[in-house]
Amino acid sequence: MVKKLKNYIGGSWVEASTSHYTPVINPATCETIGECPDSPAADVDKAVQAAKEAFEEWRRTPVLSRAQYMYRFKALLEDRFEDMVKIVVAENGKTRDEARGEVRRGIESVDFATAIPVIMRGYKTEDISSGIDETAERQPLGVYAAITPFNFPMMVPMWFLPTAIVCGNTYIVKPSPQTPLSMEIVYELLDELDLPEGVVNLVFGGKESSMAVMEHPDIVGVSFVGSTPVAKLVYETCAKHGKRVQAQGGAKNYIAVMPDANMEASVANIMGSVYGCAGQRCLAGSVIVAVGEAYEPLKAELVKRAGALRVGYGMNEESQMGTVISAAARERITGMIQQGVNEGAALVLDGRDVKVAGFENGTFVGPTILDKVQPDMTVAREEVFGPVMAIMQVPDFDAAVDVINRSHYGNAASLFTASGKHAREFKYRVRAGNIGINVGVAAATASFPFGGQKDSFFGDLHGQGLDALEFFTDKKILIERWL
Amino acid sequence: MLNSFGSIMTFAIDLETRLRDYYEAAGNADRARECEKRRSNLERVRRENVTEIKLEPIAGLEAADYALPLADASAGGQQAAARVAAQFYQAVAPKINVREAQRALERCARQHQEAAG
Repeated sequence: MVKKLKNYIGGSWVEASTSHYTPVINPATCETIGECPDSPAADVDKAVQAAKEAFEEWRRTPVLSRAQYMYRFKALLEDRFEDMVKIVVAENGKTRDEARGEVRRGIESVDFATAIPVIMRGYKTEDISSGIDETAERQPLGVYAAITPFNFPMMVPMWFLPTAIVCGNTYIVKPSPQTPLSMEIVYELLDELDLPEGVVNLVFGGKESSMAVMEHPDIVGVSFVGSTPVAKLVYETCAKHGKRVQAQGGAKNYIAVMPDANMEASVANIMGSVYGCAGQRCLAGSVIVAVGEAYEPLKAELVKRAGALRVGYGMNEESQMGTVISAAARERITGMIQQGVNEGAALVLDGRDVKVAGFENGTFVGPTILDKVQPDMTVAREEVFGPVMAIMQVPDFDAAVDVINRSHYGNAASLFTASGKHAREFKYRVRAGNIGINVGVAAATASFPFGGQKDSFFGDLHGQGLDALEFFTDKKILIERWL
Repeated sequence: MLNSFGSIMTFAIDLETRLRDYYEAAGNADRARECEKRRSNLERVRRENVTEIKLEPIAGLEAADYALPLADASAGGQQAAARVAAQFYQAVAPKINVREAQRALERCARQHQEAAG
């Protein structure tokens, strides 16, 4: 009997008001491992009402007490670490190590939230005029919500929820219907914390519940991570409804490699960047820009190392790359590979027909490399979100910067080099929100904002770090004179 | 095949578990306790030190090269088992690119080396 998921509203697990459920599929085994309700707008409203009701008392709970919940939450997350890893692998298809990395990053966001009592302080100036003092103090705003993607089902909601509630807000998560199980276990742990009812809420669903979140008049802010078209829609809809919004979109991340780079170390790191999580992450390297003489040795090593990667079920520790999320995703990715070939790229490593023994129906796509890619080809411009590397050759550093800056995305870019001058120029000139120097996955830790520019981010305050503090609080100004 | 951070750490955890049971059966409670301490520590290291930024494939290590000889419970047999464990940790530590994890594996190597005499 496959488990039907329930929403978590007002401190209780409650059935969704729908008979329509979406199967949650393990992409490697193709087994149905859960059924996710397509909650209607009415269920979102119930969650909002519970969160709204909880807000006044919660914001009056001292910030030190609010932070204490996070210490206990962290302890529970550590205890159930491997259980969560298995759930992430089962519903997403990534490898165990990748899932461990994800869960760890999620816990780091809980660690960050324990620092809120320190960083949430306001500031004061005496005598802005004779006998008049001015104070800025941070206040929570109310009910916030997150609409989160399939690719990091545990980590991404954790970017927002812990900071939001320790700042004194109440919260609703609406996870991807493809990967809802990670949030179910996280909320089981939140339930153990004995938080006041309504402080944290979970609503499963698809488009209707997402729209309800964006349009609900009592939600003050929304965080979103997903594709660019949807991020844009979220940004516009939330803004129209008077909300704060931070919407992270898609990416096309370029990795430039100079001839002076340490080739062996660079290639090892590039493998992790391009093929980690089967390329399904917004920081995945996608286009390798080989500068001048770097091209031949780099290409040879990339093809050799990518061809040796072991594709398999993520649950097996020996698997170095897992599945993509669904059959539809595989079809889209293989279609883009063919489009690359049709547009003139050379397919030097073809992962389209990879088969994994025992998992013949799994949605695997093997490591793929398209060489001789030109900037105007689709595979160089648009997000593949799969394990596909495009190799491009440019004559010099300036040409590499130009080709990167031509992209309408601006999530991340990396440079592999031994030159400090080139490293600085790259950081200075490239228009992307996360820059890696000899690092292929330029992932901001929890105490730094997760950058993003151009079509990769809509909003002004990013997720994580001090941006998160700004997003989840407002500064109230007090000017006082005692007569 | 030991081709990833997780596969190496999981092999190490399993190795300590089997050695703990072996020492217990051989009546060497002190050694068994040391294995349990290492096992528990390695689980923590596996949890805390997998870093997305540096998660890279690992090559050149085979689990079959570190099969523990556990049939002989004599003092000599125990030394032989510890020797294999030490060899394993000596081989894997340099392959791990996260220093905290590397340090834990190096410590395991030293401890098993001492036990091997």
